[in-house]
Amino acid sequence: MTAVEVRGLGKTYGPVAAVTDLSFDVPPGEVTAFLGPNGAGKTTTMRMVLGLVAPDTGSATIGGVRYAALRRPAATVGAVLDTSGFHPDHTAGAHLRVYARMGGFPRHRTEEVMDLTGVTPFAGRPTRGLSTGMRQRLHLATALLGDPSVLLLDEPANGLDPEGNAWLRGFLRELAAQGRAVLVSSHVLSEVEQLADRVVVIREGRLAVAGPMTGLYAAPGVLIRTPGADGLSALLSGDGVTVERTATDTLLVHGLPADRIAAEASSHGILLHEITPVRPTLEQAYLDLTGGPA
Amino acid sequence: MSALVLAEWHRLTSARLWRWAVLAAIGSGAFTALLAFIGPENFDPPLPGLHTAEGTRVVLGVLGLLAFVPALLGTSAVAAEHRHRTIATTMLYAPRRWTALLAKIVTFTGAGLAYGAITAVVAGAGLFTAAAAKGSTLGLPPGEVLALLVRIAVTMGVYTLLGVGFGALFRNQVAALVVLGSYFYVVETALMLVPGVKALYPYLPGGATAALTGFTYLADAVAAQTGQAAGTLLPASLGGAVLVGYAALAALAAVAAPLRRDIT
Repeated sequence: MTAVEVRGLGKTYGPVAAVTDLSFDVPPGEVTAFLGPNGAGKTTTMRMVLGLVAPDTGSATIGGVRYAALRRPAATVGAVLDTSGFHPDHTAGAHLRVYARMGGFPRHRTEEVMDLTGVTPFAGRPTRGLSTGMRQRLHLATALLGDPSVLLLDEPANGLDPEGNAWLRGFLRELAAQGRAVLVSSHVLSEVEQLADRVVVIREGRLAVAGPMTGLYAAPGVLIRTPGADGLSALLSGDGVTVERTATDTLLVHGLPADRIAAEASSHGILLHEITPVRPTLEQAYLDLTGGPA
Repeated sequence: MSALVLAEWHRLTSARLWRWAVLAAIGSGAFTALLAFIGPENFDPPLPGLHTAEGTRVVLGVLGLLAFVPALLGTSAVAAEHRHRTIATTMLYAPRRWTALLAKIVTFTGAGLAYGAITAVVAGAGLFTAAAAKGSTLGLPPGEVLALLVRIAVTMGVYTLLGVGFGALFRNQVAALVVLGSYFYVVETALMLVPGVKALYPYLPGGATAALTGFTYLADAVAAQTGQAAGTLLPASLGGAVLVGYAALAALAAVAAPLRRDIT
C-alpha cells in the first residue's frame, strides 16, 4: 500500500502558482528524495501533505486518509520542517516531554528517542544554546516520538557536520529498512545519491520526474581519447552501441564496457591516449531536469 | 483533551515565564498590602482610611487595576508559539486545531485564576494585617472583603483569557501586548472623556471590571476633572456577566482565528 499519495495538488499565493497539478507516491520501505530548486514548491507541498497549508486543488493522503483525519496523527507521521523552532527556555528534554504528553505517548518513549537520535548528552540544556546540528537531532527526535510509519523530512541534514550527515544517512536507511516510508527533501545531492531509492523532482511547482533513482541517470559510458577517432567510431558503432563525438579526438561510447573497447582497439591497432568509464552524476541529471546550468 | 491540557501545562511550567508570573502575582498582592500599610488617608490627595468602606474599596480597587497584568501572560499562549516557531509542530500533534486552542484556553484560564488566587491571598493577608497593625478594623465586613478578593481573582482569570484571544488574533506577541496595554491604560480612560461615548464605559471591559470590584475611583476622578457627572456602573452581577461575555468572545476569537490560516 502506498504510504503517501499526492494527487493533482495545487496551491496559489496571489498571482504565484506555488504548486501545480502535482502527483506522486511515497512507498513504504524506501527512502524517497524530494528535489527541486529553491522556491520550486517542496516545502509548500510537504505542508499541504501535513495539513498545515490548505491546497486549492487536489489531495494528499497518508494510507488513504487526510492528515487531519488520522486517528493518531503523530503516531502515524513524523515530520521535520525547515522552519520549526523550539521555546528557548525549554530544555531539549522538556521540549520532548511536552510533545510526548500532547501525543499521549508513554514517558519512557522520550528517553528512547533521545537515545536513538543522540539527544541524551544535551537533554538538560536549554534549546537556545543548542548548535544547528543538535537542533536537527532534536527535531528528528520530536518526529520519532510516536514511532511513526511515515517520515516527512524537510532538509534534515541542514547544519549537520560530515559525521552527523553520515549518521543521518545510516539512520534513515535503517528506518526505511524497517518498512517505514521516508520522504526527504534536500539540496545536498551527493547525500541524496547515497541515501535515496526513489526520487521526486519538481520544477516551478510541477513534477519533472518521479520514479526509482536508477531511472534518473543516463546510461553509463566510456570516454575515449584517441588519434584514430574516425576508425574507432566506425568499428564500435552497431546494435545497442552509440558513439558520440565530443571533440576531434574524443568519443563517448554507450553500450560497451571499457575492457571490450580496449580489446577492439588493440586488435585493430588503434592507439588510445585515454579510456575512462564515465558514471553519470545525480547532479548532472538533476540540472538537466530542472533546467540548471550544464 | 486532557493530554493536550497536560501538555500545555507542562509547556507553560517548563519556561521561565511562570516564575515571573508568580513573582508578579506576589508583587501585585504585596503592592496592595503596602498601600494598606501606608493607608489611604496618607495618599495624595488623602482618601478615607481603611476603617471606612470607601478606603477599603480604594485599596482593593487598585488591585483590580492590576488585573491587566495576567492578560499579558495570556497573550503568550498562541503568540509565543508563532514567535518561537513551535506552532507547526503543535498543529502536527493536534491537527484538529480547535482542540489545541481549547487546551490553551483551559490551561491559561487556570493559570490566570491561580495568579488571581495568589494575588488575592497576599493582598488579603496584607490588608487584614495592616488594619490590625493600625489597631483598627477594615471598613467592610470580612465576608465582603473576601468576596471582593474572590471577584478580583476571577477577573484576573477572565483577563488572562482576554489575553489568549488577543494573542491568537495578532500572533505577534509584541503587537498583542502593545494593543492590549494601550487599550486598558489609554483607550478606555480616553473614552471616558468623550461626551456620549462615556455612556458605553460600563459595558467596556474596564467598566465591567470596576462594577465587579466596586472600584469607581477612575470614573469619579475623570468626572471631577471634566466637571461632568460620573457614569453609572452596572450592578456587580451584570458587570461580571459582561466580563464573561468578553471572555467568551476572546475564547471564540482564540479558537476561530487560527482554524483556517495556513501555517507557513
